[in-house]
Amino acid sequence: MIYGVIFYYLPLAGWAMAFQNYKPQLGILHSEFVGLQKFRMLFSDVTFLRVIRNTLAMGVINLVATFVTAIVFAILLNEIKSKGGKKTVQTISYLPHFLSWIIVTGILHDMLSGTGIVNEVLVNLHVISQPINFFAHPGYFWPIVAFANVWKETGWNAIIYLAAITSIDPSLYEAAAIDGAGRWNKIKYVTLPGIKPTIVILLLMNVGNVLNAGFEIQYLLGNGLVQKFSQTIDIYVLKWGISQGDYAIGTAAGIFKSLVSIILIVLANQIAKHNGEEQLF
Amino acid sequence: MNKKRLVSMLLVSAMTAALFTGCGSDGNQTSGDGTTSVRTDSTTEEAGIKEFTAFFGVAGSEINDDNEVQQLIAEKVGAKVKETWLTGQTADEAVGTMIAGGEYPDFIEGQTGTTQLYEAGALVALDDYLDDYPNIKNLFTDLEWEKLRQEDGHIYWIPQFSCIKNEEKVCAHNDEAFWIQARVLKWADYPEIRTMDQYFDLIEAYNAANPTMEDGTANIPYTILCDDWRYFCLENAPQFLDGYPNDGSCMVDPETLTVLDYNTSDTAVKYFRKLNEEYKKGIVDPESFTQSYDEYISKLSTGRVLGMIDQWWDFAYTAGDAIKQAGLDAQGCDYIPLPITIDESVKNQWHNAGGAFNSGSGLAITVSCKDVPGALKLINDLLDQDIHNLRFWGVEGVDYEVDENGEFYRTPEQRMQASDTEYKASHMCSYSYFPQYNGTSDDGINANKPDGQAREFFDGLNDDVKEAFQAYGVETYVEMLGTNEAPGEWYPMWSFSNNFNTSTPGGMAWTKIGEVKHEQLPQVVMAADFDKAWADYMDAYNACKPEDFISELQAELDSRMELAAKFK
Repeated sequence: MIYGVIFYYLPLAGWAMAFQNYKPQLGILHSEFVGLQKFRMLFSDVTFLRVIRNTLAMGVINLVATFVTAIVFAILLNEIKSKGGKKTVQTISYLPHFLSWIIVTGILHDMLSGTGIVNEVLVNLHVISQPINFFAHPGYFWPIVAFANVWKETGWNAIIYLAAITSIDPSLYEAAAIDGAGRWNKIKYVTLPGIKPTIVILLLMNVGNVLNAGFEIQYLLGNGLVQKFSQTIDIYVLKWGISQGDYAIGTAAGIFKSLVSIILIVLANQIAKHNGEEQLF
Repeated sequence: MNKKRLVSMLLVSAMTAALFTGCGSDGNQTSGDGTTSVRTDSTTEEAGIKEFTAFFGVAGSEINDDNEVQQLIAEKVGAKVKETWLTGQTADEAVGTMIAGGEYPDFIEGQTGTTQLYEAGALVALDDYLDDYPNIKNLFTDLEWEKLRQEDGHIYWIPQFSCIKNEEKVCAHNDEAFWIQARVLKWADYPEIRTMDQYFDLIEAYNAANPTMEDGTANIPYTILCDDWRYFCLENAPQFLDGYPNDGSCMVDPETLTVLDYNTSDTAVKYFRKLNEEYKKGIVDPESFTQSYDEYISKLSTGRVLGMIDQWWDFAYTAGDAIKQAGLDAQGCDYIPLPITIDESVKNQWHNAGGAFNSGSGLAITVSCKDVPGALKLINDLLDQDIHNLRFWGVEGVDYEVDENGEFYRTPEQRMQASDTEYKASHMCSYSYFPQYNGTSDDGINANKPDGQAREFFDGLNDDVKEAFQAYGVETYVEMLGTNEAPGEWYPMWSFSNNFNTSTPGGMAWTKIGEVKHEQLPQVVMAADFDKAWADYMDAYNACKPEDFISELQAELDSRMELAAKFK
């Protein structure tokens, strides 16, 4: 309790900064109070609106992509009969989760560079005649980010689903087999319904995270050419809040992000409740 | 069972070893304190040696904890500094994070974040102390100290690089230029290259005749570094092409003392049109605009890149040393600067005499420092001539020799050693972002730094560079370009514009212009239709209200000239 109050609620006092013309020298107690002016500035700034768009877009793409691949992967893995093979694949597939983003972006940079493996293969297969500079095209940025997320997190996310699948009563499968269900129908009528509660709960939790579309990967992979599509709210806070010494506007952007996340999670929860599914609260 | 026992014995011995090393060198202070490395319990005394912490808002190489020269200096002056450098962030971000956290190292060089530090009240005013520290006081003239006074009338930071002691001695051109590899010049029998057109014609011709290096690696004819603040390699060439010195953010007409914008000049159009043409011809490296600084340096280190624009300090100590260590100088992969302007009738000002007095940032002491006099004493002591020699020349008999006339020189082995990264980390300690001298030593013979020592400098050059210099009849990099008088009292304007932030209209315009240029200049260079891309760029540029930032620059220029007039 005390831990929670000190580390989760007391820092919220810092939100006061967003309503002030905050100067570090004067501190929160003595800075000039400006009301909602910083928020007005924020929402009249085209850059900020663009940043919201990028964050939402990348958040949703990442959510859908990692979510679907993890479930599909878990089910496929579950269908493997050989125990050793299953364990090996599982271990290998969740290893990337433990790599930091700086390493992942390094690998991506090498793979997708002009002389990287992707371009080499495409050129040799005569799909393209000239190497493509993937990082110079704004249009490629979101897919690259989504791909990186899928590669890094699929194996890890699949673990929970695998656990859920193992907890399904084997007699259900036997019953289904007696009723003449093949593999496909067993997945459809036993496995999927069996892990549905897990799926819904995880979906709910992840919806709240949509605005946390990421910081490191966009920061590390971005460059001047793609900045209109690469910058997220977190990067905006860093760039205009911290770098420029305008902490108030950074805090305001942070508050906006928190509020939207809370709204999203409540909404998703309501929808789940409405449909008679599991809920978070 | 046996196996297990073996493992446990190994573990125990490893633990004991760790314990011993832990106690041995560093006493009670831990070394690996994570990423920020801002320590507050700064002046831990051990054996009478004070230890300070420092953060510099530039990328740099950390030296080993048991560095030999550092230890030597510590024994002489009774203090040492644990230096940390910028990694993976911009200076503004690092400084902003420190301010938000309210904890600082003892010494700080905030670079572009210096004003932020000042406004946050993080710095200690130094003017009351200065008279007690003659070495520091003598670094600058009264006018220069006056320029360092902030709005509240106090002095907070000490520029490190602007002091030329005694007679100026320069051999290296430590600034920006069009660089070209010696092998290209040699192939064309050392032609006179004066304009951009000639420069690119030469590179094209060379690359057509020699598309690869000796080992078969393909050449990269011309690359452009465009990573974050280092995009000056792309954007600020128009000022030099028009024959102006490096004011950084603008050009200053020396007659009328008005600020001119180099972004929109005719020369800028010509320059970017040329780059666009070369890009289409495949001369400009297609990865130019997506490469990071590290990738750029590793490209240069392989010797593949024939030419580029850059500042000497930005590549020479990394890629330059790597080329030397790899023996690529035998293939002529070292870089030579060329006196290029837009037209042969324009006289170049790539090099100016005199230092650029950077009043905008410098070494400062923060409010977290518990021993301000001690910190200042250290800065002062580091400026003593014998300590200064230790910092930049090293240890006599190990890093350099002295001949019968008292002149310092290095043997070829010592030179090789001095460019070895590992040796630098374990032995050399130049405290490179503490105040220092250029020019001549108090003995009247030697230069304060090896790269200013004419004989040592020429002897130390790689053969490919020597050969080129001989062919052009010069002895130093500076002579390749020809030198110019120091520009007027306003110079350099970048010491002002570097500290722009969004709290003023001019700073807002400057920040927005930066964003636009980062995105659209690469587009202009890569565009299929140059004219359209340029028109789009100009629209976006003008929408940022450049007049706001020009007028703030003009106001600063006027006030600098006024201040200078008072001291005449």
